[in-house]
Formats: sequence, C-alpha cells, structure tokens
Amino acid sequence: METLLKILAEIRPDVDFEENKELVDSGELDSFDVVTLVGELCEEYDIEIGADDIVPENFNSAEAIMALVTRLQEE
Amino acid sequence: MAFTSMQFVVFLLFAVAVYYLTPKRYRWVTLLVANAVFYYFTGIKYFVYILCTTASTYIATRKLGDMAAKNKTAYQAAKADLDKEAKKAWKADFTKKKRGVLIPTLLFNFGILAVLKYSGFVSENLNHLLEALSAPVQLPVPHFLLPLGISFYTFQTMGYLIDVYREKVVPEKNIGKLALFITFFPSIVQGPIGRFGQLAKQLFEGNDFSYDNVKYGVQLMLWGAFQKLVIADRAAVIVNAVYDAPDVYGGTYIAVASLIYCLQLYGDFAGGINIATGAAQMFGVTLEKNFERPYLATSIPDFWRRWHITLGAWFRDYVFYPLSLSKFFMKVGKKGRQILGNYIGKLLPVLIPQFIIFFLIGIWHGAEWKYIAFGFYNGTLIVLGILFEQPLQNLAKKLHIRTDCFSWHLFRILRTLILVTLGKIITRADGFGVSLYMMHTMAADWNTDILFDGSLLQLGLDGKDMMVLLLAALVQLAVSILQECGIRMRETLAKQNLYFRWVIYLCAVFALIIFGMYGLNYNAADFIYRGF
Repeated sequence: METLLKILAEIRPDVDFEENKELVDSGELDSFDVVTLVGELCEEYDIEIGADDIVPENFNSAEAIMALVTRLQEE
Repeated sequence: MAFTSMQFVVFLLFAVAVYYLTPKRYRWVTLLVANAVFYYFTGIKYFVYILCTTASTYIATRKLGDMAAKNKTAYQAAKADLDKEAKKAWKADFTKKKRGVLIPTLLFNFGILAVLKYSGFVSENLNHLLEALSAPVQLPVPHFLLPLGISFYTFQTMGYLIDVYREKVVPEKNIGKLALFITFFPSIVQGPIGRFGQLAKQLFEGNDFSYDNVKYGVQLMLWGAFQKLVIADRAAVIVNAVYDAPDVYGGTYIAVASLIYCLQLYGDFAGGINIATGAAQMFGVTLEKNFERPYLATSIPDFWRRWHITLGAWFRDYVFYPLSLSKFFMKVGKKGRQILGNYIGKLLPVLIPQFIIFFLIGIWHGAEWKYIAFGFYNGTLIVLGILFEQPLQNLAKKLHIRTDCFSWHLFRILRTLILVTLGKIITRADGFGVSLYMMHTMAADWNTDILFDGSLLQLGLDGKDMMVLLLAALVQLAVSILQECGIRMRETLAKQNLYFRWVIYLCAVFALIIFGMYGLNYNAADFIYRGF
C-alpha cells in the first residue's frame, strides 16, 4: 500500500488519497491521471490493466486500486 | 415530428397516457410502439438502416454472450491445472475469438454510418486529387440523406456491443427490448448517448406513475423549449445575417455574432436535450446528463467535460482508454521517456490518443474540412494545455499571481470562452477558409461604436427583440450560476408555495407563447445537432 500511495502522490501531489473515496466520481482523477497511473502500476507490479478494467469502482480509492492490483496479480 | 411542434406535444401526452394505462409488464411494448410511430412520422424511409443495426447487434451480442458463458465453464474446470502463463494464454486466446465477432459487427455498423455520411466527401476530395494529377477519371459523388439520429443510435448501440464484449453487461435476449433501447424516441434525435447498463432496467421493467416525474419532466421540457424558441431561434437571426455575408461586416460585428452563436448553439442543443430528458422523465426514465454549464468552464478540457458529455464519455471509454492503454502506446511512453525525458515521455500515451479523439470528434460532426480543422484546433489546445500546465503554474507562483481568488477564476472562464468562440467560428463559417478570413477581420477591423449607435439593430432583430434576447440570456446565465452554486432549480421551486409556483409556471408558458420564435404555421427552426 505504501508503494501505491507513493505512486499516487507522484502523479497528483495535491490529492489526499488516504481520505478521498470518490477519486473518479468526484472528478478528482481525470482520464489523463488514470492512464498515467495505469502505466505506473503495470510497470511497478508487472500486471496488465486493460480498458475493461477502467471503471470508476476500480479507481475511486487507494484501497480499490490496491484491490485491482491484487486481483490482477492473482489471475 | 420536431420536439417543438404541437404534433410532438400531442403525441407525447398520448404516449404517456397509454404507457401508464398499459399493464406494467407490457409497458416496454407501449414504448416500443411509440418509438415506431415517432420514427414513422419522422423518417420511415430509413427504417431499414436502424433495422440492420438492431439485427446485427442482436446476433453479435447473443453470440458473445454464449461464448462468454461457455468460456467461463471451461475455464473454471481447467483453472486448477493452469500456471500464470497458461492463464494469460487462455485469456488472450478467448479475447482473439471474441474479437472475431466484435470487429466485423463494428465495421458493418460504422461502415453504414461512414458510407452514408462520408462517401460524398471522400469522393469529392479524391476527384480534386485526380484532377490535380490530370487523371482522366472522375468518381461519382453520392449524396445520401442521413437517417434520423444515425450518429447517435450507432454510437449508443456500438457502446452496448463493446460492453457485452467486455462482459460488463449481460446481452439482451429479447430483440424487441434491444430495439427499444436503440430507438427510444426522446434520445434518438440528438442524444444523449445512453449506456445499456444505465437504461435497460428503466426501459424494460415498467415504471410506476409518479406525479413528481411528470411534473419535473414538463418543467424541464418548458425550460428546454424556452432555451430553443426564445433564445436560440432569436439569436439565429443575427448569426445568420453576419455569417451569410462575412465580407460585408467588420470585426466587431463578427465578434458579436460569434458570441451570440455560442448562445444559439447552447440554447439549441441543450434546449433539445432538456426537452428529450423531460419527455423521458415523464415515462420515469432518467437520461444521462449531457451538459453541465459549459460556458462556465475554466479550461478547454473542463469545457469538454461539460459540453456534450455523453459523446466525450463515449470516446473516452471506447476509444481513448483502449488506445492509450494499448501495448503500442505503452511502448511509445517508455521510449518517449528515454528520448524526451520523464515529463513529456509520460504524457505521450495521453497526448497522441487525445489528438486522435479530437480528430474523430471533429469528423463526427460532419464530412467537411472545417470539422476536421475544428477537431485539430481543440486537440492542439488540449495538448498545449497539458504540456504547459505545470510551467504556467510555476510562472504564476514566480510572478506572485494569486490563483485562488474570484478574479483569477473569472479570468479563466473568459479566456476559455474566447477560445471556445474561436472554435465555434470554424464550425459555423461557410468553410475553413472563410473562418480564417473572419478571424482575420476580427483582429484587423475593430469598431466598437457599432455596439452603441444602433447598428446592431440592422441585423434582423429590432430593439424589442434584442432586449428579449438579452433578458432571456441573462435568465439562462442566472440559472447556470445558481446551479453552479449547487442549487437544484426544480427541487427549490417545488418547495415554494402554490401561488408562487403557478406564477412561475404561467410566466414560463406565456413567455414561450409570446416570445418564442415561430416560422410559418408556427413551426420552429430545426435543431442544429439533429443534422449530425
């Protein structure tokens, strides 16, 4: 989780990723941020994130992003 | 059957009454019949196209659904014996098989749209090329009349197909229900472009009668009619006068007409969408939001998040993400970082697909070079905005410019409005060359006296009409600002006492009757986006 929070903070230092649970729904993260984040996640965790996985539920909070990463690592 | 015609009002009231009188489980059938009647009155000749889209999508989605079910069973049985690499290979193999169904269906349906909408444009330009090369052949230039709402229903239906391919929604087994989703009459003319996951239940399950839904629906339709008939069609008089003779008018006229064109286009499109959303609400169906006060946007990306939201969201989900997350663009990003540095390299998988999206949004609007130029104009602004965002923020800090105050916010709104207006000149002018000429005139030939000496009253609207336009625009602006502050207009109105509410309703109805712009036989002008 710490690594993820570090990646997130590098992409958007102005966002409180520990508190905000509606990152996409509230418009805090836009499509550019999501694409940049996906690039970083794929590299860091050696996973493949496809367009099918890009739904707000997977990116609304740091926990949801971590759950997506864990699921894709296990698959 | 135009949304602003009496014929539509009668049709809608009748359809709503029959809908709620029908037993709940058959209400979707009533809606389907209403769609057929609406389409019959509007363009029965083109029924075959929508039938092709419905049938091909039905067959493809059923096939995809069967494949997914079989794959799931087989995968569950084999999963325990597969290692990570084998699981990956299984997934890739299944994706390949699904694409065998997806791609031909996409090509077929977008092919219909492409042939009807773009074949004339392509042939015309190829002929220019052949002429330049002195080739003795000329291609025939077909001119098809576009079926009603083809761009909208094709995008909506292909979105559903991709959702089934991605296994986000379960394919509809009843072709009648699928046809209802594709042809739902309030949204077929000019959107909003709906999603199956959001609409299916509302359309198919039969909604209970709700006084609030009918009341709010009527209110929204009245507001939409006000935007269209009082604002947009009145603004059109000035816009047409100047844009029909751009060489006659100076730069100030062009600037005024272009700003008024922004008003016209918003009133026309958002007005139409409000009528559609209100009509759908009367059946208990909530359509997706298509506008969020676009002229209060503080940047071009912000504008596109507020203008024609469902089209932008469609391109984001079905083109931008697949492109920018593709292996190719991921590689481009990696390579870019090595060559151009971390900052720009990281942005490449975003910037290039973004540019492609705006090219597509441009040609979505029509088969003309000016729309392609419009796409590039917006794409360039967005790319420059992303590239210079950080450096500009740093510059503002260095210059000690306060960016957290109202004046800075207002500056950003006005700056965005100017950039948006320049883009609108490109689409409204009679060709890209003409738009450049008009922009040049705006820069070179400026005379502010015309704003005060009554010259603007020579453009087709007299003083009274001009005043109505100004006041109506101010009402629209006030509503937008209130909404921006989080005030929900209809809910706030509902909390007021009965007399006050009815004064407002009657004022709205009389404003429409007295100040609405009606042509021959009380027919309003066509909606602009209906032509797309």
